[in-house]
Amino acid sequence: MKTSFFAFSLLAVSAVAMPAQADKLDDIIASGTLRCAVVLDFPPMGSRDENNNPIGFDVDYCNDLAAALGVKAEIVETTFPERIPSLMSGRVDVAVASTSDTLERAKTVGFTIPYYSFENAVVANEKVEMATWEDMKGKVVGATAGTYEAIWLEGKVKEWGVGEFRPYQTQADVFLALSQGQLDATVATVEVSEANVKSGNFPGIKIVDKAPMVPDYVALITLREEYGLINYMNLFINQQVRTGRYAELYKKWVGDGEPASLIVEGVYR
Amino acid sequence: MFNYNFRWNQALNSLPDMLQGALVTMEIAILSMVIGISVAIVLTLFRLSGNRILSAISATWVEIARNTPALFQIYMVHFGLGGFGVHLSPYLSLLIGIAFNNAGYLTENFRGALKAIPDTQTRAARSLGMSSIQAFQSVILPQMLRISFLPMTNQMVWAILMTSLGAVVAMNTDLYGVTSDLNARTFRTFELFAIAAVIFYVITKVITLSARLLAARLFRY
Repeated sequence: MKTSFFAFSLLAVSAVAMPAQADKLDDIIASGTLRCAVVLDFPPMGSRDENNNPIGFDVDYCNDLAAALGVKAEIVETTFPERIPSLMSGRVDVAVASTSDTLERAKTVGFTIPYYSFENAVVANEKVEMATWEDMKGKVVGATAGTYEAIWLEGKVKEWGVGEFRPYQTQADVFLALSQGQLDATVATVEVSEANVKSGNFPGIKIVDKAPMVPDYVALITLREEYGLINYMNLFINQQVRTGRYAELYKKWVGDGEPASLIVEGVYR
Repeated sequence: MFNYNFRWNQALNSLPDMLQGALVTMEIAILSMVIGISVAIVLTLFRLSGNRILSAISATWVEIARNTPALFQIYMVHFGLGGFGVHLSPYLSLLIGIAFNNAGYLTENFRGALKAIPDTQTRAARSLGMSSIQAFQSVILPQMLRISFLPMTNQMVWAILMTSLGAVVAMNTDLYGVTSDLNARTFRTFELFAIAAVIFYVITKVITLSARLLAARLFRY
């Protein structure tokens, strides 16, 4: 009697303790919605159209991913510094937010393979004498807080030991400060720089030079332990390129020309 | 659902940088209070002067400082003045923005304090042969500052918390700025901000407690 009761309770406990583990990938498919964090003041990757609807490369990319999963996409606007909190607090499932895949950050979040890569340009106020990127030495420079280029530029200013670095909260504030002459120069992605110079919203700025950084590879991010989802997204990114959808999106949002290469020469993955 | 593993070592390694940032935060808060109190006294005098233009200046200042967000005030000091070619560093923009806000609120505090001082005191002082300036300076002002001492500590706490708004004008050496910079680098958001919150709490607590002790000593009758 006693033994059978013991055996029964052991069975009951193990049944409770070991349900089939549903991971994030299952959760998304079951819930029918994929929630993506997208930064919407970062054209052409993310912005809003005149009706205030989210548009851009990252928005389309999220929609494609949702379509592949067979679920509805939900765009959750975020800022660069808020990407991680919204991921960790479960407000979003993935961040499609041009996140640079640094090793430091990979200790905290899970990165896919790169889905895009940026080159960065040095943009300066027209009144400032600048010929190359090295002329930024000793000047007042700034960039969008929390971005790859901001981390690089701040490092450079520290290395030079002269000049001043200012991290503004949004890309728009950086270009406003640059246009007003509060900043002498900034480093921003070529895409953003060209869009902002062309738009005419920020008079008095010019593109000076390319920034001598390794290409800024950006990846999708989710929780570090969600291997199932990361694995799925890796294949998805590969398929986007394979099917020509990547080139199509590049043409639609960035412009004509060769889509940014996602290949790192001489190494796997 | 809160899916996060706390790992403190990386964040704790940054503690010296954050404490350095806390010093800058305190420095800005203290300077902004000193400026704020001085300006508020002047604005109070403007209001009492009976001159229509001067009291209008004082009223406008108080209205704007109290009825618009501090974030907006700081942003306008940096980008608003920037549009007119006045370029202030992030440090100065933040300091001036907070001092502007402090001055507005403190002027209101002083007004309340003045109301608590009976008019008869001014009259008594004047009948003793003091000039109106002397009467204000040696009879009214000390009492005004005494009555509004604790509200002033409130404002001081508020000034410390307001330094975190410096992020909008690219301030990166104060406690909030240092924390968010480290966050961008490491993505250890919750650890870093938890530590920053504790530092903020300790600073403000120390200030309120020491103000209370100081008040008990200074204002013994």
